[in-house]
Amino acid sequence: MSKKITIGGIGSVLLGDDGVGPYVVGMLEAGYRFEENVTVADLGTPGLDLVAHLSGIDALILIDSVKNGAAPGTVTLYRKEEILRHGPAPVRMDPHAPVLSESLLIADLAGESPKDILLIGITGEQYEVGTELSDAARNAAADAVIQILVELGRLGISYSQLREQPFSAWWKPLADGPLAQNCLR
Amino acid sequence: MSTRITIDPITRIEGHLRIDVEVENYAVSNAWASCTMWRGIETILRGRDPRDAWMFTQRFCGVCTTVHAMASVRAVEDALKLPVPANAQYIRNLIVIAHALHDHIVHFYQLSALDWVDILQIPKADPAAASKLAETISPWTRNSRNELKAAQDKVKAVAASGQLGIFQNGYWGHPAMRLSPEVNLLAFTHYVQALEYQRKALQVVGMLGSKTPHIQNLQVGGVANAIDLDSQSALSMDKLEQIRILLSEVAQFIREVYLIDVCAVAAMYPEWFKIGSGVTNYMAVPDLPLDSNAVAYDLPGGVIMQGNLGGVQPFKTASDPAFREAVTEDVTHAYYQGEKPLHPWQGETEPQFTDWDGDKKYSWVKGPRYNGKPMQVGPLAQVLIGYAQGHPLTKKYADLALGQVSAIAKVNASPALMHSTLGRHAARAIRAAMLAELADKHWQLLVDNIAKGDLTVHNQPVFPSGEIEGVGTHEAPRGTLSHWIVIKGGKIKNYQAVVPSTWNASPRDESGAHGPYEASLLHTPLARPEEPLEVLRTVHSFDPCMACACHTFDPSGRQIARVKVL
Repeated sequence: MSKKITIGGIGSVLLGDDGVGPYVVGMLEAGYRFEENVTVADLGTPGLDLVAHLSGIDALILIDSVKNGAAPGTVTLYRKEEILRHGPAPVRMDPHAPVLSESLLIADLAGESPKDILLIGITGEQYEVGTELSDAARNAAADAVIQILVELGRLGISYSQLREQPFSAWWKPLADGPLAQNCLR
Repeated sequence: MSTRITIDPITRIEGHLRIDVEVENYAVSNAWASCTMWRGIETILRGRDPRDAWMFTQRFCGVCTTVHAMASVRAVEDALKLPVPANAQYIRNLIVIAHALHDHIVHFYQLSALDWVDILQIPKADPAAASKLAETISPWTRNSRNELKAAQDKVKAVAASGQLGIFQNGYWGHPAMRLSPEVNLLAFTHYVQALEYQRKALQVVGMLGSKTPHIQNLQVGGVANAIDLDSQSALSMDKLEQIRILLSEVAQFIREVYLIDVCAVAAMYPEWFKIGSGVTNYMAVPDLPLDSNAVAYDLPGGVIMQGNLGGVQPFKTASDPAFREAVTEDVTHAYYQGEKPLHPWQGETEPQFTDWDGDKKYSWVKGPRYNGKPMQVGPLAQVLIGYAQGHPLTKKYADLALGQVSAIAKVNASPALMHSTLGRHAARAIRAAMLAELADKHWQLLVDNIAKGDLTVHNQPVFPSGEIEGVGTHEAPRGTLSHWIVIKGGKIKNYQAVVPSTWNASPRDESGAHGPYEASLLHTPLARPEEPLEVLRTVHSFDPCMACACHTFDPSGRQIARVKVL
């Protein structure tokens, strides 16, 4: 039986470069066709409901913005042990705060965690309210797509590329009328 | 002499809940709830097409996705006075119910049970004795000795590895932890099983909404689901039958596990029925409309002031004038410009950040008020407002839960105990049991309506050229949610979301009245102020959801909370 894979974009499309994960997912959906055993999903900003997306799969590829001190637009790859190195947050005041490491640990506990986990991190430049990516994040999104294809190759998953068509996000700023960021200050 | 404790989880997110308490003689003497990030996401909506608003509002929060979508389409429909076909109401209701069931299960087991359950006691438990104990309180078939032993082995393996993983940061061994090893084991076993059942509930959301976490099937005026009982690509009888089975499995888990566990834990900590009351003004809006014009609902709404159940004032509709005219937002202690409280349609969001100052401004959360009063929202409000009106389904499960607590604790648990930290947990389980029963009813309503030959799912919206206003409400898992929209010439002119956690996490207002989190923490006893487990118990009982925000991953591990004793 072929491996079950989930490719998930994480982040808020309303908060600048935090939306780069869903943007990469949009690029994949517009430009590629995958086999039935590959799920491509815009996971938004999940709480522990992320656990539900981790179960019953062999491999997980996540795309998320990261704060790691690198130059904006840097793409960094993290495997499971690096994601979990620092464990869960010590005090969870708001029980819905972001929970990648917690979700992985809970899935582990239930014996449902995927064997292969790759986080493709894109260093963001700005996270202000607004629906547009910085140039650095948009360029990095294309690099992230290549990293995803490399990982699929490593996992032995095939895909086909559709004829080149530019991806246009439904959440992009209005062409006429006020840009969200202009309303703010 | 008092000690100041700040609980400020420094996570990678920019917006989160911060709690400051002053402690005197091992009890909380003063409290402040604040949110550390400005949201103001509503500004993105200005100038956009009102028919698209729900897709954006669904992104306000990653946990409460569907609820912001529902409130948004209802706001536009309210402005247009546009009825929604019965099929669309039932499909929406089923999504609302399935999402809430998922949310409540996760809240209790994954997000708050470990405030009460001591993981490190589990290895000492006798699985056979735990299984026997379980038999006396529930018919659940997955409480066998073998199943409990398997769960215990998981904990033993984690403990033996020296890496506590998900459990490394609990307040284990805290003097406020008091369950027997066997009860700890049962609760943990259900923690693991809960993962399966919350997933089944999410599957229903995905089947009806076509995707999860972001549903795709809503439209202003109805839904986009094609109904054809014989077609695999549409909402077919096959699919409906799968949905029915999933919902009934979840319902069984809620009746036989969740509700029972909450009662059992509550019975072991009876003093927590006297802690955490706070603001006893309650509010809920009616939800689960039963017809196209939304004049009848399965869940009642209204207000209770100062805990007086006898004086309950019902809301007749989800946009009752008593509600729509009474809501204002106060910014006396919030980082915004403005003098007097404003109605959401006139709402302004002009930031004015100053440092945290408990006497002046200290939060990014505005203070919503109902006729000038702070209100507690959420399952406790929902249940008390239903109970006070004699709503039969509310009474059925509330009386069942109180009876169960009375039997286990050998006390007489009265509804007055509900104004408390444990009351909020009990109410959430009661509400979940009600919703689980209503899932069955609304499934049948949908199937019967289709069988009559009605396949309508959508009414076309038409926008006037002038200015119109609307409010869309939804009684969400965390309480009353309202979206307020002003539309001019078919474009959004103003949009404000007053979310449940702003009611509950609200700062003090111009009169100095505390918000619900703040008030509920006053007088809470703390066994070890440097490990404020008791504060977390009460805050978690509200199920806060503040991080409608940024999820940037920070691999450097700077996710340290500051539990700061000043």
